[in-house]
Amino acid sequence: MLFALMALVLVSGTAFADAADAGKALSVRTFQFKFKEADKAAALIKPLVSGEGSMAIQPSSNSLVVTDRADNLKAIAAALQQYDAPARNVHLSVRLVGASRVPGAPVQEPVAELKDIANELSLLRFNSFERLGEADVQGKEGEPGLIDLASGYRAEFKFGEYDPASDTIKLNDFRLLKLQNDQLVPLYKASLNLKLGRTVIVGATKPQGQRALMIVVVARR
Amino acid sequence: MIACRDFRAELTANANDPKLLEHVRACDSCLDYAASFDPDIVFRAIGGGDLVPPGGVDAFVDDVMRQVRVRAAANVVSVPNRWTWRRLSAAAAIAAGVTGAALVYQHDRTIVPAAVLNPRPVAAANLTTKPVVETYESEKATIVEVPTADTGSAQVVMIFDDALPSDL
Repeated sequence: MLFALMALVLVSGTAFADAADAGKALSVRTFQFKFKEADKAAALIKPLVSGEGSMAIQPSSNSLVVTDRADNLKAIAAALQQYDAPARNVHLSVRLVGASRVPGAPVQEPVAELKDIANELSLLRFNSFERLGEADVQGKEGEPGLIDLASGYRAEFKFGEYDPASDTIKLNDFRLLKLQNDQLVPLYKASLNLKLGRTVIVGATKPQGQRALMIVVVARR
Repeated sequence: MIACRDFRAELTANANDPKLLEHVRACDSCLDYAASFDPDIVFRAIGGGDLVPPGGVDAFVDDVMRQVRVRAAANVVSVPNRWTWRRLSAAAAIAAGVTGAALVYQHDRTIVPAAVLNPRPVAAANLTTKPVVETYESEKATIVEVPTADTGSAQVVMIFDDALPSDL
């Protein structure tokens, strides 16, 4: 009887061990980076690593050791291969629009230069729009960018890295400044994620303000 | 030996008369008659009242009580044995059930296509989305992303910040 019990326990253990092995089946792979930093790559693939997986950064060799299921490692390898590329060129088209709300006044038709975003502007509570300037700027990932507009506004930022998972380029430390009495006064500071090829309108206003400043930007490669 | 009629006439409870006891030993019908109202007469008739166990009555009683205790202890020991086997039987049944379930589970896993078990990675599905405004210097500001059904149209994000100047 006792031997029969031991045999049953052994069979149970074997069955569970086989099931667990088949489910885990983890592999280890090391990725060494030529153009990008390993810690940034780790942050990039963090959403892709499964609950069973793990990763370790090796700063001395600028590499990343990833342990995960084989199929997941393939997806991670593809993302990292796309990520570890020389700094990409980024092109920004920027327009600055002043929006106002005049009580009782009819909604003005946007000027011709703003016709492409007229539908989106009509969603807002403003009824008057004026073009404050526009500029195109080119740069590379990691480089600083600067846009000066004739109306007295300035935008300072740093081109971030392209994220293939979301197809976005990041603008780090984006600061909008306004020239007042020969001095540049900072209005706000933010970091923006811009999906490539898509127009993004970022408006800023006081909660009950009658005026807003809209930045219309499109990023392209 | 006295006659049966005399025996029955003289018989009383706890009778110890040698004549009566002699008659009881010889006559079965009178023995039955006497035992019906005085069962101990049987033992008195055969001299049981005078018997003393070897070593005395106290030693006999002690011996009997020792036997009683030994048997009680044996019963106590035998109860867990019976339960142990029941528990082992239950454990064996559970182990057999678990083994069967594990084997069936393993069998099911082997016949299910791998594509069903392994969901597509997030990157492959391109489901990752990021907020347009990832960070903003003022924690008191309210940032609203206007939802749009059409991914081809412009994305509108409004920042409501009390710290902004009114003459933007």
